[in-house]
Amino acid sequence: MADEDKRLEQIILTRLVRLNAKIQGLVTGLAAGLLIFIATNWLVLKGGRQVGPHLSLLGQFFVGYRVTFLGSLIGFAYAFVCGFIVGYSVAWMYNWIADLKEVKN
Amino acid sequence: MDPHTVVVIGAGPAGLTAAYELAKLQRRAIVLEKQDRVGGLARTENYKGFCFDIGGHRFFTKVEEVNQMWRALLGQDFLRRPRLSRIYYNRRFFYYPLRPLNAVIGLGLLRSLLIVLSYVRWQLFPHRREETFEQWVTNRFGKRLFQTFFKTYTEKVWGISCSDLRAEWAAQRIRGLSLKTALLSMFLKPKQTIKTLIEEFHYPRLGPGMMWRAVKDEIERRDCAVRLNCEVAAIRRNGNRIESVVVSNNGHDEIVQGSAFISSMPLGEFLKKLDPPPPPRVIEAAKQLRYRDLIVVCLIVKKPNLFPDNWIYVHDPEVRVGRIQNYKNWSPDMVPDPAKTSLGLEYFCTQGDDLWNTPDADFVELGKREIGRIGVADATDIEDGCVVRVPNAYPVYDTDYRRHLATVREFVDGLENFQTVGRNGLHRYNNQDHAMLTGMLAVRNLVLGEHNDLWSVNTEPDYHEEALVEESAIEEALARVFTKLDRLAFGLSLGAVSGALLFVATLWLVLKGGEVVGPNLRLLNQYFPGYSVSLWGSVIGLVYGFLSGFIGGWLFAFLRNATMFLYMVRAERKAQRGLLRRIFDYL
Repeated sequence: MADEDKRLEQIILTRLVRLNAKIQGLVTGLAAGLLIFIATNWLVLKGGRQVGPHLSLLGQFFVGYRVTFLGSLIGFAYAFVCGFIVGYSVAWMYNWIADLKEVKN
Repeated sequence: MDPHTVVVIGAGPAGLTAAYELAKLQRRAIVLEKQDRVGGLARTENYKGFCFDIGGHRFFTKVEEVNQMWRALLGQDFLRRPRLSRIYYNRRFFYYPLRPLNAVIGLGLLRSLLIVLSYVRWQLFPHRREETFEQWVTNRFGKRLFQTFFKTYTEKVWGISCSDLRAEWAAQRIRGLSLKTALLSMFLKPKQTIKTLIEEFHYPRLGPGMMWRAVKDEIERRDCAVRLNCEVAAIRRNGNRIESVVVSNNGHDEIVQGSAFISSMPLGEFLKKLDPPPPPRVIEAAKQLRYRDLIVVCLIVKKPNLFPDNWIYVHDPEVRVGRIQNYKNWSPDMVPDPAKTSLGLEYFCTQGDDLWNTPDADFVELGKREIGRIGVADATDIEDGCVVRVPNAYPVYDTDYRRHLATVREFVDGLENFQTVGRNGLHRYNNQDHAMLTGMLAVRNLVLGEHNDLWSVNTEPDYHEEALVEESAIEEALARVFTKLDRLAFGLSLGAVSGALLFVATLWLVLKGGEVVGPNLRLLNQYFPGYSVSLWGSVIGLVYGFLSGFIGGWLFAFLRNATMFLYMVRAERKAQRGLLRRIFDYL
């Protein structure tokens, strides 16, 4: 087998992938934000006597959040921040542990 | 003789390209060739006005400098030709690259079905170790397909059993099957290049010899010399420096001095001619480097058209010919009389075997008989023929060649003012364009002081400086995408963040207080027994959050890695299927 192909296989088999913390934070933040935004507006559009009694419980954590259109924007902002923190933290911690493992090996 | 002259031994593609590059840089060069014509293994023979190519040289390259040289020197004579080649097996013709319907009709339904079943069987239970070519092909295409299309032709070409031929050779020669190429092909879909390579090629109007005659003329126009019929009898050295070569020309010996030497002669021959000789272990190692030889029987047929192919692969074991070239289909100008056709029957052999020892007249008769048997021409239509013997046509990659080559290389690399180039100079199964590249790089080493490793010039342009940057970037990109996600690291990080999240959420509600604290979050205890929205519950939540996050993260990494692996396997399988369409071009 060609040397450079062996090299690629070697890299794939032995090296660990590194995550880009900022990108992962952004992606997680956007995904969480959009999820809240869409879920809230879906309930708003459906309407009814009592709109989104369960989702409105998020207000316990996201101060100011309600199941309204304005609430969906507030929810987006909160969820984006939380998602960013979670995604960034997971990636940062993963890279740190992966570095430790590779140094050890 | 100018002592600053660069002496080039061999006027094949590598040697002539080196001299051409030196001439362009206004350096004095002298080329010494033992034959009466230039071109080496890529020469064009001429018999009564009929041109015969030695082996069929398609002009196709990924090396841009080589392409530019071809175009610059050949101009309008650089023809673009359609390609058609077929396989002759079991008294039938099969299109090559193989076409499924044509193959099924040719082999019959039952045999085709058995091939498919055999393929499935070897995909499910392959050879655990791939040490031989037979095992390598069987693992990819199944035993029956190997026996039908691979075994006889490969054994004809190499003269040894497929079970003695190293698997490494196939993997090295067939670079299209590399993991990198396979993965790239999934993204880039280079169908056009493959299609072009399969359906068309470039060719000089009067065969490859035309190209090398043009190079010779250009070298001489720039005040350098190409001397034919000059066999190097001895190569004199002083320690690690070559000082001169002794040339034998029509019985007269002459000493040619030079400041640097570039040689494309076979390594063993070069070492044998060194004076004083190298250490015995080096000579012994060189003796173990084996070559396969070629005999071309050229036949002139009194028919304007015989068959539409450029060449036919003859797999059938009933005849000994390995390949039949129809030169008129390479270029119509290869034949002086449009009412006639010229064929080249290629017999792969080894010096000293029964084929090599067959007299020329008997060989022409053998050719006539076999052509008649295959049915491409009637023996009575053949009006004339000649035989061309080509020693050392193919370096053999047998079990121990790497070890022996390493010994030889160690000695040759120690010579200060000497570089070895070309197919036989490097004992590497390089095509014409790669041989030319070794000549170009040798001159760059000599004149520009570069440090190009000629031994690593292979079948892809990855030894190019420009290409190296691109290759490493591609490799880096592939590595970034396909490297593993560490399960433990991802599990721990996701676990830690999940645990912290639940801990903070619980604590937040506890601190907020109220009549009923966190009635909804408390529902989590349906899954996490013992959890409650309290100070103590936040600690329990931390542990549960960590555990569930860890399991989720570990599983995600595991599934992601498995999916990546399956993707790579799929890419390789796809490349293997593509390989079947063009494998004989590489053999």
